[in-house]
Amino acid sequence: MAMEAHEHPVRLIVEDDLRRNRWTVFFRLLLVIPHAIWFFLWTILIIVTAIANWVISLFTGRPPGGLHRFMCGYIRYQAHLTAYISLTGNPYPGFVGEEGEYPVDVALPAEPQQQRRWTILIRILLAIPALLVSAALAGSTGGSYSSGKGGKTRGGNGGGALLVVCAVLGWFASLARGRMPKGLRDAAAYSIGYSAQVTAYVLLVTDRYPNSDPTQMLAGVERPSRHPVRVVGDPYDLRRSRLTVFFRLLLTVPHIVWLLLWAIVAILASIAQWFVTLFRGTPAAGLHGFLTRYVRYRLHVYAYLLLVANPFPGFTGTEGTYPLDLEVDGPKRQNRWKTGFRIILAIPALLVSAALGGALFAAAVLTWFYGLVNGSAPWGLRNLSAYALRYDAQLFAYELLLTDAYPHASPLEGEDAPPE
Amino acid sequence: VTLRRAALVLVLGAVWAVAAWLLWRSSLPAYHLPHLDERALFPARLLHRAQHFSSVGRLFWLGNTAVQLLVLGVYAHYGVRFTRESAAGPIGTGMLLGMLGFALVWAAQLPFAVLGVWGRHRYGMGGSYVQATIGNWLALAGTFLFLSLALAIVMGLARRVGRRWWLPAAPVFIGLAILFAFVTPWLLGGEPYNRPDVVARLERIEHVRHVPVRVLDAFDEPNAFATGLGASRRVFLWKPIVDPPFTPREDQFVLAHELGHLAHNHIWKSIGWYALFAFPGTYLLALLTRRRGGMGVPAAIPLAIFALVFLQLVQLPLQNVISRHLEAEADWSALRATHDPTAGRQLFQLFASETLEDPSPPWWDYVLLENHPTLLQRIEMTRYYATSAQSP
Repeated sequence: MAMEAHEHPVRLIVEDDLRRNRWTVFFRLLLVIPHAIWFFLWTILIIVTAIANWVISLFTGRPPGGLHRFMCGYIRYQAHLTAYISLTGNPYPGFVGEEGEYPVDVALPAEPQQQRRWTILIRILLAIPALLVSAALAGSTGGSYSSGKGGKTRGGNGGGALLVVCAVLGWFASLARGRMPKGLRDAAAYSIGYSAQVTAYVLLVTDRYPNSDPTQMLAGVERPSRHPVRVVGDPYDLRRSRLTVFFRLLLTVPHIVWLLLWAIVAILASIAQWFVTLFRGTPAAGLHGFLTRYVRYRLHVYAYLLLVANPFPGFTGTEGTYPLDLEVDGPKRQNRWKTGFRIILAIPALLVSAALGGALFAAAVLTWFYGLVNGSAPWGLRNLSAYALRYDAQLFAYELLLTDAYPHASPLEGEDAPPE
Repeated sequence: VTLRRAALVLVLGAVWAVAAWLLWRSSLPAYHLPHLDERALFPARLLHRAQHFSSVGRLFWLGNTAVQLLVLGVYAHYGVRFTRESAAGPIGTGMLLGMLGFALVWAAQLPFAVLGVWGRHRYGMGGSYVQATIGNWLALAGTFLFLSLALAIVMGLARRVGRRWWLPAAPVFIGLAILFAFVTPWLLGGEPYNRPDVVARLERIEHVRHVPVRVLDAFDEPNAFATGLGASRRVFLWKPIVDPPFTPREDQFVLAHELGHLAHNHIWKSIGWYALFAFPGTYLLALLTRRRGGMGVPAAIPLAIFALVFLQLVQLPLQNVISRHLEAEADWSALRATHDPTAGRQLFQLFASETLEDPSPPWWDYVLLENHPTLLQRIEMTRYYATSAQSP
């Protein structure tokens, strides 16, 4: 299964060094105007040619070579432009979607591929689930930036998209530090990559369905360092009981009530912990353990509700009892400034978490239908959801003073530091 | 040991019987209802429609019950397989198994719910498909919540106390019943009834004080109920009963009936009856699930649910006898408070035309389904009151 995913014909290539020029960052939206006009025109042409491509492909089973290359150029250009606007890439992109010329690029099949005719016939219908996920991640499958006011090619989800949030936060961060935060860059790149796969699928460049697995998408990207709050679980734990999937929302009701009751105590405990950490510099071990259990239980419940895991979770948040579990390091000394202003500092992460929540919701709805039919969860969506839940858990751990390490937005799991 | 056990059973049975006798006592006189001919009270066409409508309803009930028993019977046998869908430990797994059992019953009964609405529409009555499906779904969420709580209590006690879990469990459930009865009126909301003068006058007669009367807008049938304990006592009128064709005179009778429930402590009496059934009920449950390891083991839960539903069905006739007795006392109380048997008769006649309730259903329907006296019996009581010495 993993090998199969490696072979996706549309691959994201990220060779970005995170450095950003403050001047171009500040004027980024103005600088992009020529590209926006150009992209708008190109999109109109693409719509016309895509129809012709579709008709021809229906008869021949494969797109003509010229049209295929034209579509590939458009997809690459869209990726470059989106990367530039969202600060995922630094240099000004070219206008024709040159291959290998931009630090955030997309590798596409060089030659048109034979495709099943029935999938060509109903390609748009088949693409709807992927379009929904793409809308949650990137705001649309393309063209949303250049032609937004015109509305014709805009397909976003109204500003809650992960890419938009990463771009806005990245703008401030890049202006301040001259560098794009790696977490935000990775999250934005992931969104761009998925969007490119969806566009390639819709434009008949490939008949491989888009794969939302973050690890596969960012295969060549360096992993972030180990975070004190980690989500562990088997990414191939995909079996789902159809009966419990159908009634999942209702089956979670007792857990939701219990979680709400627990939350009241957790809030009080976190206030107490705030004072302790502020004065002592280190959280109280007892409260740390209690709050860790609460965050873990929350993860278990959300994982069950949103179909990221199959079994009914326990009510105690005990470690090692659930397929998607939370590991939290013990209480460590924390920066008092970060403790004092924790709520304010958490605001950017809250925005990212809200954006990921949209993707999580879309993934859950789609998994529900898929699970009912197949008795399993789609691998890509499961791992996208696990990523969103991990970020949410890290955010909660940060807010509840389990750690002062900021939530890492990268879809990639952190890795242990190499031995000295 | 056997003798001692027999003696204990006898003593407990006697205590139960004395308690039941105390609860049964009422203000009802030793009356003998006059026999009336329903054809003289209801138009022939209405009688025909009501009988036909009720017979369809009975069929749906039979179907529903059969499906419920069938599904739970199969689930009692195979439901244990769903244990593998849980990582929640024994009690959590028990909760999951319990919820899944009711989820399956819900799914199996859904066609009947939809057919029920279709049937009502055919007779020109209200009913919403959304309510019968999605609304039903939300109601299932409430069921799951209470079921989970009940299973957490039972399984927790069974794991701690062992085979005699039912001894502490029954008082816990009685306590919960009291709590729910106390809290529920405050959760229901509703608009104040617009005739406080009538309420105040009836309160004086019925010897109850400060009982707020609320009108609930969410129902499409004429009905009313009294609930609450102490400070939470309330009377709720469903909106259709305060609208035409019901007149203020008939509404007054309805109010007097509901206040009669409160005046004669029927909520407390109902809890008392519940307590009387709770001990033998939980004991039987403990007994029936022993072969599966007892209620502390998740594997016993599918069987326990089947047993619970079956026991509820078996005790239905007895519960209906008790309920009809309480309702008859409330009717009598209303007659004494209003001195208006004509309003009572008109009210019950209107019920037949508005709800298409069969005024004199077949015996098995009466035994299994009727928790109120039949409309004909209620009209007969108004006639009895009118002709008896109680009437002014």
